[in-house]
Amino acid sequence: MASDPDAALMVAFQGGDERAFRSLFEKYGRAMVSFCHHFVRDRSRAEELAQDVFLKLHCSADRYQPTARFRTFLYRIASNHCLNEVRRGEYGSRRALEAREGGEALSPTDPDSLPATTASPEETSVASALGRAVEHLLERLPEKQRLAFVMGRLEGLSYEEIAAVLGTTVPAVKSLVHRATVSAASALAPFMAGGEEVAR
Amino acid sequence: MNHPVKSLSAYLDGEIAAPERALLEAHLAGCASCRAERDRLSRALALIAELPPAPAPSETFEPRFYARLAAEKAKRRPFLERLRWRFLAPGLAGLAASAAVALLAVRHEAHRRSEEAFLAQHLDLFESYQAVASVDAVESPEDVEVVAHLDELGVRP
Repeated sequence: MASDPDAALMVAFQGGDERAFRSLFEKYGRAMVSFCHHFVRDRSRAEELAQDVFLKLHCSADRYQPTARFRTFLYRIASNHCLNEVRRGEYGSRRALEAREGGEALSPTDPDSLPATTASPEETSVASALGRAVEHLLERLPEKQRLAFVMGRLEGLSYEEIAAVLGTTVPAVKSLVHRATVSAASALAPFMAGGEEVAR
Repeated sequence: MNHPVKSLSAYLDGEIAAPERALLEAHLAGCASCRAERDRLSRALALIAELPPAPAPSETFEPRFYARLAAEKAKRRPFLERLRWRFLAPGLAGLAASAAVALLAVRHEAHRRSEEAFLAQHLDLFESYQAVASVDAVESPEDVEVVAHLDELGVRP
Protein backbone atom coordinates (compact mmCIF):
# COMPACT_ATOMS: atom_id res chain seq x y z
CA MET A 1 0.00 0.00 0.00
CA ALA A 2 1.82 3.02 -1.33
CA SER A 3 0.13 5.55 1.00
CA ASP A 4 1.03 3.63 4.13
CA PRO A 5 4.62 4.38 5.20
CA ASP A 6 4.41 1.65 7.84
CA ALA A 7 3.61 -0.86 5.12
CA ALA A 8 6.74 0.30 3.32
CA LEU A 9 8.75 -0.24 6.51
CA MET A 10 7.27 -3.70 6.87
CA VAL A 11 8.17 -4.55 3.29
CA ALA A 12 11.71 -3.30 3.95
CA PHE A 13 11.85 -5.54 7.00
CA GLN A 14 10.63 -8.46 4.92
CA GLY A 15 13.65 -7.75 2.75
CA GLY A 16 15.93 -8.08 5.76
CA ASP A 17 16.12 -4.48 6.96
CA GLU A 18 16.14 -4.78 10.76
CA ARG A 19 16.22 -0.99 11.13
CA ALA A 20 12.77 -0.87 9.56
CA PHE A 21 11.54 -3.26 12.21
CA ARG A 22 13.07 -1.05 14.91
CA SER A 23 11.22 1.94 13.48
CA LEU A 24 7.93 0.07 13.70
CA PHE A 25 8.69 -1.00 17.25
CA GLU A 26 9.47 2.57 18.25
CA LYS A 27 6.30 3.84 16.63
CA TYR A 28 3.89 1.24 17.95
CA GLY A 29 5.52 -0.08 21.11
CA ARG A 30 3.68 2.26 23.42
CA ALA A 31 0.35 1.81 21.62
CA MET A 32 0.68 -1.95 21.96
CA VAL A 33 1.38 -1.72 25.70
CA SER A 34 -1.69 0.50 26.06
CA PHE A 35 -3.84 -1.87 24.01
CA CYS A 36 -2.73 -4.93 25.96
CA HIS A 37 -3.21 -3.06 29.24
CA HIS A 38 -6.96 -2.84 28.53
CA PHE A 39 -7.07 -6.62 28.73
CA VAL A 40 -4.83 -7.41 31.68
CA ARG A 41 -4.76 -4.14 33.70
CA ASP A 42 -1.21 -4.78 34.78
CA ARG A 43 1.67 -2.80 33.29
CA SER A 44 4.29 -5.47 33.64
CA ARG A 45 2.07 -8.12 32.05
CA ALA A 46 0.90 -5.67 29.39
CA GLU A 47 4.54 -5.04 28.47
CA GLU A 48 5.19 -8.75 28.18
CA LEU A 49 2.15 -9.19 25.95
CA ALA A 50 3.18 -6.24 23.79
CA GLN A 51 6.64 -7.78 23.45
CA ASP A 52 5.01 -11.07 22.48
CA VAL A 53 3.10 -9.23 19.77
CA PHE A 54 6.31 -7.80 18.31
CA LEU A 55 8.04 -11.16 18.53
CA LYS A 56 5.14 -12.66 16.60
CA LEU A 57 5.40 -9.82 14.12
CA HIS A 58 9.11 -10.50 13.70
CA CYS A 59 8.50 -14.22 13.18
CA SER A 60 5.50 -13.91 10.89
CA ALA A 61 6.71 -11.04 8.72
CA ASP A 62 6.44 -13.27 5.66
CA ARG A 63 2.68 -13.46 6.16
CA TYR A 64 2.24 -9.73 5.78
CA GLN A 65 0.70 -8.66 2.49
CA PRO A 66 1.55 -5.06 1.55
CA THR A 67 -2.04 -4.60 0.34
CA ALA A 68 -3.15 -4.52 3.99
CA ARG A 69 -2.57 -1.57 6.26
CA PHE A 70 0.24 -2.32 8.66
CA ARG A 71 -1.67 -0.99 11.67
CA THR A 72 -4.58 -3.36 11.13
CA PHE A 73 -2.14 -6.27 10.66
CA LEU A 74 -0.47 -5.42 13.96
CA TYR A 75 -3.74 -4.97 15.85
CA ARG A 76 -4.99 -8.27 14.52
CA ILE A 77 -1.97 -10.04 15.99
CA ALA A 78 -2.45 -8.14 19.25
CA SER A 79 -6.19 -8.83 19.39
CA ASN A 80 -5.73 -12.56 18.97
CA HIS A 81 -2.94 -12.62 21.50
CA CYS A 82 -4.85 -10.64 24.13
CA LEU A 83 -8.01 -12.67 23.68
CA ASN A 84 -6.04 -15.87 24.12
CA GLU A 85 -4.56 -14.40 27.26
CA VAL A 86 -7.90 -13.44 28.81
CA ARG A 87 -9.46 -16.75 27.77
CA ARG A 88 -7.08 -18.40 30.17
CA GLY A 89 -9.31 -16.84 32.82
CA GLU A 90 -6.47 -15.81 35.09
CA TYR A 91 -7.43 -12.16 35.24
CA GLY A 92 -11.10 -12.44 36.18
CA SER A 93 -10.35 -14.90 38.95
CA ARG A 94 -7.43 -12.86 40.24
CA ARG A 95 -9.54 -9.75 40.45
CA ALA A 96 -12.31 -11.65 42.21
CA LEU A 97 -9.76 -12.89 44.72
CA GLU A 98 -8.48 -9.36 45.28
CA ALA A 99 -12.03 -8.20 45.87
CA ARG A 100 -12.72 -11.01 48.32
CA GLU A 101 -9.50 -10.28 50.17
CA GLY A 102 -10.57 -6.68 50.41
CA GLY A 103 -13.96 -7.78 51.69
CA GLU A 104 -15.73 -5.86 48.97
CA ALA A 105 -18.38 -6.88 46.51
CA LEU A 106 -17.79 -6.61 42.79
CA SER A 107 -20.34 -4.47 41.09
CA PRO A 108 -19.25 -2.70 37.93
CA THR A 109 -22.13 -0.27 38.10
CA ASP A 110 -21.63 0.70 41.71
CA PRO A 111 -18.45 2.73 42.21
CA ASP A 112 -19.03 2.66 45.98
CA SER A 113 -18.31 -1.02 45.89
CA LEU A 114 -14.85 -0.50 44.42
CA PRO A 115 -11.76 -0.64 46.61
CA ALA A 116 -11.18 2.72 48.20
CA THR A 117 -8.16 4.79 47.26
CA THR A 118 -8.05 6.73 50.51
CA ALA A 119 -4.65 8.27 49.99
CA SER A 120 -5.52 9.81 46.62
CA PRO A 121 -6.99 13.24 46.01
CA GLU A 122 -10.70 13.28 45.26
CA GLU A 123 -10.35 13.70 41.52
CA THR A 124 -7.86 10.92 41.28
CA SER A 125 -10.18 8.75 43.29
CA VAL A 126 -13.08 9.40 40.93
CA ALA A 127 -10.89 8.85 37.88
CA SER A 128 -9.65 5.66 39.44
CA ALA A 129 -13.20 4.48 40.19
CA LEU A 130 -14.20 5.38 36.65
CA GLY A 131 -11.27 3.38 35.33
CA ARG A 132 -12.31 0.40 37.39
CA ALA A 133 -15.90 0.70 36.23
CA VAL A 134 -14.70 0.60 32.61
CA GLU A 135 -12.41 -2.28 33.47
CA HIS A 136 -15.31 -4.30 34.85
CA LEU A 137 -17.42 -3.34 31.86
CA LEU A 138 -14.74 -4.65 29.50
CA GLU A 139 -14.63 -7.94 31.37
CA ARG A 140 -18.34 -8.42 30.88
CA LEU A 141 -18.53 -7.49 27.22
CA PRO A 142 -18.58 -10.24 24.60
CA GLU A 143 -15.18 -10.62 22.93
CA LYS A 144 -15.91 -8.82 19.68
CA GLN A 145 -17.69 -5.96 21.40
CA ARG A 146 -14.78 -5.66 23.78
CA LEU A 147 -12.27 -5.53 20.95
CA ALA A 148 -14.37 -3.03 19.00
CA PHE A 149 -14.81 -0.86 22.10
CA VAL A 150 -11.13 -0.90 23.02
CA MET A 151 -9.94 -0.18 19.50
CA GLY A 152 -12.61 2.40 18.71
CA ARG A 153 -13.19 4.14 22.02
CA LEU A 154 -9.85 3.77 23.77
CA GLU A 155 -7.27 3.47 20.99
CA GLY A 156 -8.78 5.69 18.34
CA LEU A 157 -9.06 3.29 15.42
CA SER A 158 -11.66 4.09 12.78
CA TYR A 159 -14.60 1.79 12.11
CA GLU A 160 -12.97 0.79 8.84
CA GLU A 161 -9.76 -0.18 10.60
CA ILE A 162 -11.65 -2.14 13.24
CA ALA A 163 -13.52 -3.97 10.49
CA ALA A 164 -10.21 -4.90 8.87
CA VAL A 165 -8.78 -6.10 12.19
CA LEU A 166 -11.84 -8.19 13.03
CA GLY A 167 -12.30 -9.39 9.47
CA THR A 168 -15.84 -8.06 9.30
CA THR A 169 -17.84 -5.26 7.70
CA VAL A 170 -18.16 -1.62 8.73
CA PRO A 171 -21.94 -1.99 9.43
CA ALA A 172 -21.10 -4.93 11.71
CA VAL A 173 -18.55 -2.76 13.53
CA LYS A 174 -21.16 0.00 13.89
CA SER A 175 -23.41 -2.47 15.60
CA LEU A 176 -20.63 -3.82 17.86
CA VAL A 177 -19.49 -0.35 18.89
CA HIS A 178 -23.04 0.82 19.51
CA ARG A 179 -23.97 -2.14 21.71
CA ALA A 180 -20.75 -1.71 23.70
CA THR A 181 -21.39 2.01 24.05
CA VAL A 182 -24.93 1.41 25.33
CA SER A 183 -23.47 -1.00 27.91
CA ALA A 184 -20.87 1.62 28.82
CA ALA A 185 -23.58 4.25 29.31
CA SER A 186 -25.36 1.95 31.73
CA ALA A 187 -22.18 1.02 33.57
CA LEU A 188 -21.12 4.64 33.89
CA ALA A 189 -24.53 5.99 34.86
CA PRO A 190 -23.45 6.55 38.48
CA PHE A 191 -20.74 8.88 37.22
CA MET A 192 -23.05 10.95 35.05
CA ALA A 193 -24.95 14.08 36.05
CA GLY A 194 -26.36 13.42 39.49
CA GLY A 195 -24.49 10.13 39.66
CA GLU A 196 -21.11 11.69 40.32
CA GLU A 197 -22.13 12.35 43.90
CA VAL A 198 -22.74 8.65 44.26
CA ALA A 199 -19.32 7.95 42.81
CA ARG A 200 -17.71 10.18 45.37
CA MET B 1 -41.94 5.50 13.41
CA ASN B 2 -38.49 3.97 13.38
CA HIS B 3 -36.09 5.44 15.90
CA PRO B 4 -32.56 5.27 14.50
CA VAL B 5 -31.00 4.68 17.92
CA LYS B 6 -28.62 2.05 16.55
CA SER B 7 -26.95 4.72 14.46
CA LEU B 8 -26.43 7.13 17.36
CA SER B 9 -22.96 5.89 18.33
CA ALA B 10 -21.76 6.08 14.75
CA TYR B 11 -23.35 9.52 14.52
CA LEU B 12 -21.50 10.71 17.61
CA ASP B 13 -18.29 9.20 16.24
CA GLY B 14 -18.72 10.99 12.92
CA GLU B 15 -18.86 7.63 11.19
CA ILE B 16 -21.98 8.05 9.10
CA ALA B 17 -22.25 9.50 5.62
CA ALA B 18 -23.71 12.95 4.99
CA PRO B 19 -27.12 11.86 3.62
CA GLU B 20 -27.77 9.52 6.56
CA ARG B 21 -26.50 12.16 8.94
CA ALA B 22 -28.96 14.73 7.58
CA LEU B 23 -31.85 12.28 7.98
CA LEU B 24 -30.81 11.43 11.50
CA GLU B 25 -30.47 15.07 12.53
CA ALA B 26 -33.90 15.77 11.11
CA HIS B 27 -35.26 12.93 13.22
CA LEU B 28 -33.47 14.12 16.33
CA ALA B 29 -34.96 17.57 15.92
CA GLY B 30 -38.41 16.10 16.35
CA CYS B 31 -37.82 13.15 18.70
CA ALA B 32 -37.23 13.82 22.39
CA SER B 33 -36.50 10.17 23.30
CA CYS B 34 -33.80 9.85 20.64
CA ARG B 35 -32.29 13.16 21.77
CA ALA B 36 -32.24 11.86 25.33
CA GLU B 37 -30.52 8.67 24.21
CA ARG B 38 -28.05 10.67 22.16
CA ASP B 39 -27.26 12.83 25.20
CA ARG B 40 -26.87 9.78 27.45
CA LEU B 41 -24.42 8.17 25.05
CA SER B 42 -22.65 11.47 24.59
CA ARG B 43 -22.14 11.84 28.36
CA ALA B 44 -20.78 8.31 28.53
CA LEU B 45 -18.32 9.10 25.74
CA ALA B 46 -17.26 12.26 27.56
CA LEU B 47 -16.53 10.21 30.68
CA ILE B 48 -14.57 7.65 28.68
CA ALA B 49 -12.55 10.49 27.23
CA GLU B 50 -11.62 11.50 30.78
CA LEU B 51 -10.15 8.11 31.58
CA PRO B 52 -6.51 8.29 32.54
CA PRO B 53 -4.31 6.94 29.75
CA ALA B 54 -2.77 3.52 30.08
CA PRO B 55 0.57 3.71 31.85
CA ALA B 56 3.56 4.45 29.67
CA PRO B 57 5.96 1.56 29.11
CA SER B 58 8.78 1.28 31.61
CA GLU B 59 12.32 2.28 30.65
CA THR B 60 13.30 -1.35 30.39
CA PHE B 61 10.50 -2.22 27.99
CA GLU B 62 12.59 -1.71 24.86
CA PRO B 63 15.88 -3.25 26.05
CA ARG B 64 14.01 -6.24 27.47
CA PHE B 65 12.26 -6.70 24.16
CA TYR B 66 15.50 -6.70 22.19
CA ALA B 67 17.04 -9.11 24.68
CA ARG B 68 14.07 -11.42 24.18
CA LEU B 69 14.34 -11.03 20.41
CA ALA B 70 18.05 -11.89 20.50
CA ALA B 71 17.34 -14.95 22.64
CA GLU B 72 14.55 -15.95 20.30
CA LYS B 73 16.83 -15.62 17.26
CA ALA B 74 19.56 -17.64 18.97
CA LYS B 75 17.04 -20.34 19.81
CA ARG B 76 15.79 -20.43 16.25
CA ARG B 77 19.28 -20.62 14.68
CA PRO B 78 20.66 -23.66 16.53
CA PHE B 79 17.39 -25.42 15.95
CA LEU B 80 17.72 -24.96 12.20
CA GLU B 81 21.36 -25.92 12.34
CA ARG B 82 20.56 -28.96 14.41
CA LEU B 83 17.85 -29.83 11.96
CA ARG B 84 20.25 -29.39 9.05
CA TRP B 85 22.99 -31.49 10.62
CA ARG B 86 20.56 -34.13 11.72
CA PHE B 87 19.66 -34.83 8.12
CA LEU B 88 22.91 -33.92 6.42
CA ALA B 89 25.47 -35.45 8.78
CA PRO B 90 24.79 -39.15 8.05
CA GLY B 91 24.87 -38.47 4.33
CA LEU B 92 28.03 -36.42 4.59
CA ALA B 93 29.72 -39.08 6.74
CA GLY B 94 28.82 -41.77 4.22
CA LEU B 95 30.03 -39.60 1.37
CA ALA B 96 33.33 -38.91 3.15
CA ALA B 97 33.86 -42.60 3.89
CA SER B 98 33.15 -43.53 0.28
CA ALA B 99 35.53 -40.85 -0.96
CA ALA B 100 38.27 -42.08 1.38
CA VAL B 101 37.86 -45.68 0.24
CA ALA B 102 37.86 -44.63 -3.42
CA LEU B 103 40.99 -42.53 -2.90
CA LEU B 104 42.82 -45.38 -1.20
CA ALA B 105 41.79 -47.76 -3.96
CA VAL B 106 42.98 -45.35 -6.65
CA ARG B 107 46.28 -44.76 -4.87
CA HIS B 108 46.78 -48.50 -4.33
CA GLU B 109 46.02 -49.21 -7.97
CA ALA B 110 48.34 -46.45 -9.13
CA HIS B 111 51.10 -47.76 -6.87
CA ARG B 112 50.62 -51.30 -8.10
CA ARG B 113 50.71 -50.17 -11.73
CA SER B 114 53.87 -48.12 -11.22
CA GLU B 115 55.61 -51.14 -9.66
CA GLU B 116 54.58 -53.35 -12.56
CA ALA B 117 55.77 -50.78 -15.04
CA PHE B 118 59.11 -50.57 -13.25
CA LEU B 119 59.48 -54.36 -13.31
CA ALA B 120 58.60 -54.49 -16.99
CA GLN B 121 61.14 -51.80 -17.86
CA HIS B 122 63.96 -53.30 -15.81
CA LEU B 123 63.30 -56.99 -16.13
CA ASP B 124 66.87 -57.63 -17.25
CA LEU B 125 68.20 -56.40 -13.94
CA PHE B 126 66.31 -59.07 -12.12
CA GLU B 127 68.16 -61.78 -14.03
CA SER B 128 70.99 -61.34 -11.59
CA TYR B 129 70.14 -62.13 -8.00
CA GLN B 130 73.03 -59.98 -6.82
CA ALA B 131 71.77 -56.98 -8.73
CA VAL B 132 68.33 -57.51 -7.33
CA ALA B 133 69.60 -57.90 -3.82
CA SER B 134 71.75 -54.77 -4.11
CA VAL B 135 68.76 -52.52 -4.69
CA ASP B 136 66.86 -54.03 -1.80
CA ALA B 137 64.21 -55.28 -4.20
CA VAL B 138 63.95 -58.60 -2.39
CA GLU B 139 61.89 -58.07 0.69
CA SER B 140 60.01 -61.34 1.13
CA PRO B 141 60.32 -65.05 0.40
CA GLU B 142 57.94 -64.60 -2.49
CA ASP B 143 60.35 -62.10 -4.05
CA VAL B 144 63.13 -64.65 -3.82
CA GLU B 145 60.93 -67.21 -5.47
CA VAL B 146 60.16 -64.79 -8.31
CA VAL B 147 63.82 -63.94 -8.83
CA ALA B 148 64.79 -67.61 -8.78
CA HIS B 149 62.49 -68.24 -11.69
CA LEU B 150 63.11 -65.08 -13.66
CA ASP B 151 64.62 -67.03 -16.51
CA GLU B 152 61.41 -68.88 -16.95
CA LEU B 153 59.48 -65.70 -17.68
CA GLY B 154 58.61 -65.41 -21.33
CA VAL B 155 58.86 -61.66 -21.44
CA ARG B 156 62.60 -61.42 -21.54
CA PRO B 157 63.95 -59.59 -24.61
